[in-house]
Amino acid sequence: MNKITIFLETNRQNVIEDVSFELISKAYALSKTAHELNGADFIVEGIALGQNLDKVSIEKAYNAGCSRVVLIKQQDNSDILCAKNMAQYLNENPSYVVLFPATYFGRIIASRLCTMLDTGLVADCIELDFILKNNELKLASTRPTFGSELMATILSKKNPQCATVRKGIFRADFTKRPENIDFIEYKSDLDYIENRIKFLNSIMADNKENIKEKLAKAKIVLVAGFGLMDAKVDYFKKLKDFAKKIGAEFGVTRKVVDNKICSNDYQIGQTGISINPDLYISFGVSGAIQHISGMKNSKKIAAINIDENADIFKYADYKIVSDAKKIIEELEIYK
Amino acid sequence: MKIVVCIKQVPDVDNIKWTKENNLDRANMLSKINSYDVMALNYALEIKKRLNNSTITAISMGPNQAQDILNYALACGADEAILLSDRAFGGSDTLITSKIISRAIEKYVPDYKLIITGKLASDGDTRQVPLAVATLLDIAAVVDVCDIKNINDSSIEVVQKVEDSINDISLILPALISVCEFNKPNYVPKIDDYIRAQNNKIKIYDANSLEFDKSEVGIIGSPTMVYRAFRPEFTKEAVEVKLDFAKFVSDLLLTNGAKHE
Repeated sequence: MNKITIFLETNRQNVIEDVSFELISKAYALSKTAHELNGADFIVEGIALGQNLDKVSIEKAYNAGCSRVVLIKQQDNSDILCAKNMAQYLNENPSYVVLFPATYFGRIIASRLCTMLDTGLVADCIELDFILKNNELKLASTRPTFGSELMATILSKKNPQCATVRKGIFRADFTKRPENIDFIEYKSDLDYIENRIKFLNSIMADNKENIKEKLAKAKIVLVAGFGLMDAKVDYFKKLKDFAKKIGAEFGVTRKVVDNKICSNDYQIGQTGISINPDLYISFGVSGAIQHISGMKNSKKIAAINIDENADIFKYADYKIVSDAKKIIEELEIYK
Repeated sequence: MKIVVCIKQVPDVDNIKWTKENNLDRANMLSKINSYDVMALNYALEIKKRLNNSTITAISMGPNQAQDILNYALACGADEAILLSDRAFGGSDTLITSKIISRAIEKYVPDYKLIITGKLASDGDTRQVPLAVATLLDIAAVVDVCDIKNINDSSIEVVQKVEDSINDISLILPALISVCEFNKPNYVPKIDDYIRAQNNKIKIYDANSLEFDKSEVGIIGSPTMVYRAFRPEFTKEAVEVKLDFAKFVSDLLLTNGAKHE
């Protein structure tokens, strides 16, 4: 039996982060593709590391399409130990594909683990698919490169074929629970203890995390582009206040952040966060590809720009050629 | 203290040129030093000011013209510059690049104490090489460093800024840090600096001197391969809204569950 492994990132309460469920559902879909392509049977396996794993999270993992949940028991949660233990488990139980969330910790584990396994790693994929190449199943991982001006589809010559995916790229589907499920506790025989790194002090920036979390889960997002720049009126604040009033979230483009108008916590795009709301509306956004890659999974896209040839209109469901500043002022009256 | 700074020459991604055939027009693209690597270099210069007897080795992998950024590093105050260059290195992915860099460090700066890199390179943006290098050298690493609080010959205390927290972390040396911010002005080399740097020859090493078989590096040796590269195309047909823009937006918001007063 072949397997696709997902690194289950957990928080301090041993709860699995949502992005891992998104990856499980994608892996489940990939297993179906593999079966259609050459009859291969894949199961989806999730691996978490630590002392315990939240029970509700485990059920959610199954519901998202996971057949097996593995908890690698370890005391210390240093990146080196996590990677070493996972490497040992995967050497004993080889996987065809391993996927990681492209979060702070997921990236570290992915980079260290793939180096230990001497295999390739494709970062920040926005699409994953199985293809047949010379009758062999290959994970085709597509990612933006060159400041998102170019897309590259990358294959791995070696197994496991590995990729990282950012939050919000795929959707979790909790209706995929497999018939046979199991839970394994794995005890590694490493007696390694990381004593070279010591956390002295940590300040939680709760507020910041909230902004990103809210954007990632938002149903409606209003996005301000550099086109709202105005010598007299702060239209960024106006739009932000309006968004708050109607229960929507507010985001900005890289150019707005680069010009120090807004903090990068609100940045949507390849170097910011990815969103998939039901409704996305942009105000004075030109549509640079690095922004598009962070919002193109929105269900409905409306774009407002004074320039009728703005690139953003290529991705929009609704095209509004108008001064976004004026519309913001009118919207304030409408409410 | 021996400090290694890894720097990369990157195309200016804000000014990408395309050929008629829709390929990257590399010949006409401007190159520059990756901006995070400038920060890495400036951190090294800071440490050199604080700790006597520190030396800085700047290492870059790339074609011959990458000597430009090594000359810049020397002018800023690096003591030594190493270019890892070989046609066979072309097309190396992150794993192979990390193998080449880590082997060069082991071979030419074996008594290093600290490796400093930028958070990411603007062209590839994978953020993998620093951690892969640290893994190959079997050293600890901290990414997203925004400040150095203390440093002595055996340990370093850094401030790390990540998504949900700001952390003070102490590391036993040797170690690697990747930096995401530098809160002082960057050193700007003067003409005299460049003149002084001319006396300092860049050392160039190829696959042979690093004891790599050519089949172990570059496109052939890399575990990943580019299957297809393309400019993103989207084929959505937008409905153009002609009148009552604000009312249209307002209705759209309401039908998607916006709060109504």
